[in-house]
Amino acid sequence: MWLAVLAASAGAAAAGRVLGKVAAAASIVVVPFALWAFVIHGLFFPEGRAVLAALGPARVTAEGLAYAGGIVLRTAALVVVMLAFSTWVEVPVLRAALVRRGVPAQLGYVLATALGLASTVAERLERIREAQEARGLIVRQSLGGRFVAARLQVVPLVLQLVDEAGERAAALEARGQALPGRRTSYVDEPDSRAQRTLRWVLATASLAVVLSVVVPAVAGVLGGGR
Amino acid sequence: MTPVLTAHVRRFAYDDGPAAVRDVHLALERGALVAVLGASGSGKSTLAKIIAGWALQGGHARFSGTLELAPGPRGAGGRLDFAGGHDDPRLQLGAWGERVAYAPQRAGDLLTGAAASVGEELAFSLEQRGIERGEMRDRVRRGARAVGLEDLLDRHPGRLSGGEQRRLALGCALVERPDVVVLDEPSASLDAAGAEALVELVARLRGGGATVVVFATGVDALVRHADRCLLLDGGTVAAEGTLDDVFASAAFAESGVVPQAREREPGCPMVGAEVPATGVPLAELERVTFAYAPRRSGRSARTVLDGASVAVHAGQVIALTGPNGAGKSTALRHFAGLARPSSGTVRIGGSDIAGVPAGRVAATVGTLFQDPRDQLFERTALREVSFGLGALGLAGEAARSRAFEALDAVGLAQRADVHPYELAASEQRLVALATVLARRPRVLLLDEPTVGLDGRALARLDAAVTGAAQAGSAVVLSTHAIAWARRMSHQVLALDGGRFVGA
Repeated sequence: MWLAVLAASAGAAAAGRVLGKVAAAASIVVVPFALWAFVIHGLFFPEGRAVLAALGPARVTAEGLAYAGGIVLRTAALVVVMLAFSTWVEVPVLRAALVRRGVPAQLGYVLATALGLASTVAERLERIREAQEARGLIVRQSLGGRFVAARLQVVPLVLQLVDEAGERAAALEARGQALPGRRTSYVDEPDSRAQRTLRWVLATASLAVVLSVVVPAVAGVLGGGR
Repeated sequence: MTPVLTAHVRRFAYDDGPAAVRDVHLALERGALVAVLGASGSGKSTLAKIIAGWALQGGHARFSGTLELAPGPRGAGGRLDFAGGHDDPRLQLGAWGERVAYAPQRAGDLLTGAAASVGEELAFSLEQRGIERGEMRDRVRRGARAVGLEDLLDRHPGRLSGGEQRRLALGCALVERPDVVVLDEPSASLDAAGAEALVELVARLRGGGATVVVFATGVDALVRHADRCLLLDGGTVAAEGTLDDVFASAAFAESGVVPQAREREPGCPMVGAEVPATGVPLAELERVTFAYAPRRSGRSARTVLDGASVAVHAGQVIALTGPNGAGKSTALRHFAGLARPSSGTVRIGGSDIAGVPAGRVAATVGTLFQDPRDQLFERTALREVSFGLGALGLAGEAARSRAFEALDAVGLAQRADVHPYELAASEQRLVALATVLARRPRVLLLDEPTVGLDGRALARLDAAVTGAAQAGSAVVLSTHAIAWARRMSHQVLALDGGRFVGA
């Protein structure tokens, strides 16, 4: 099931031509997590019976590996779904869709900026790094070198973002963001009968899955209580 | 005739600080163009923010005075009396902003940061007011055309040049058809065509009944069209009347406001006579080509430099000009090793810098960035200027005294302990300049160094450029201030179609 979700989201990412970006971003999150999971659960799993190898207190068990594999797969599926969505989605279209469905404009703005935050932060960090390089900071290309450089850039980044936030709040208010009333959207939201149908089918299917689990469980609890 | 907006500032301060503006009375009549002139620290930008309503947001303002807006087709108007206490009325900035538009000194401050295209950014305020899409698109197109951005509607705002961003902010302020337009340094970073278009745009706005207030540190083409002028000094009115009245006043001569730009007297450049271009150039681009990668797949790369060549020798000052977005900043970034050419060679001191980290190139090359805030990241001006001096072999007291010396050269030794963000925009540029001067670079790169500088700051900049050239450094600067460029450089080059040509 999780594998199917992973494959479907990877397929969707490929169709949206963002598979490379998604894979790169997902690996940053999933690979360290997978290493941790396999070390913890692969080597130390008290319930493990089928011992594949043993080294002092550490025992590699089939059950431990299966458990670690399971959580890595679940995490990978969730991470890839989220990243595929946020990388592929056109933020303006998403904002337009939210506006059309009556979501408060401020919430739409927060969502749009949150989804764009990673690229904003990356651009800012780059500018600060360049300013520091222009004054003799030598950034080594290794991961360690970049980490050391990033440490010097975090404080100015936060200060800049906070300083800007103050001005931006006034700009947004002056441009009418806090006004009551209906909003319209500059960007067209492409929607088709097929997409609408698919959304309804998915929503109904999700509800059906939830009900198929919840109803028997509740019935079982009630029945057992008698 | 009843003024459309009346502002009376008895006293304005932030928190418990000293008065930033006091005893200023402005009555703006329909269709008028009023110029408010003032040097750095004169209270000019604060007054602009008070009129725009921005200064009254955020809970830090201590304001006693009055703001009054006459009724009009866009709103009922009204009068707000402020006593400087906690029970003062609250200005509804959303409604005020619909009638009183404002383009701040830092153009980027008006932008939402959430728009993916110029068109969306222009449309933001129209979306908030529920304008139907057909009319909205029409108004966005007309707004973009008015500020010369009609070909860039799909460009990401983050990918605009400094001048293009200024045009975008102007467009955002005007798209709502306000009654009063407040423009703080609107000509800054605009190319010659942009400055000319701004004058026409303001004339059209006035023709349509709008009132325009322009705040500036210098007398430019737009200011010269003003029918009334106010000179600020020390937060209050030093002279008032027609332009001629104000220009003739003793207060104007002492104010530090840059008078009308003068063309160079022939044969008398400030940096001295032409330097013979002999020996190895200190900085050189040879057939450099560079293109910006497309932001989204499916779009083509944007070529900015296309086989560009230029060589700068010791003691030489070269000025680069060209329209907004022509690639002047990109060319400077190549000299600094911050951008790498897709083909061609960049040489510093005769050596190819391909593969040399920018941090190492910085031992020879000093860069003043276009937006000074991009290069200010320390807690105090002194720490800011001291950053990186260690890499030049200066430690402890030696670094400190070098940093003080540089701050003194730009006239900011007294402000050494102030956080760079608390300085006025003009002072921020000077601190950024001090960070470069402290390194005594053999190659000095200055990206639009005159923007926002008043007369006193300009004199410091002039001294820095001539001093560097006389000490044998090569100076490359980019600017739209053509008269200044001619006065300060040995050669003016224009960037045209990705190449340098004589201007």
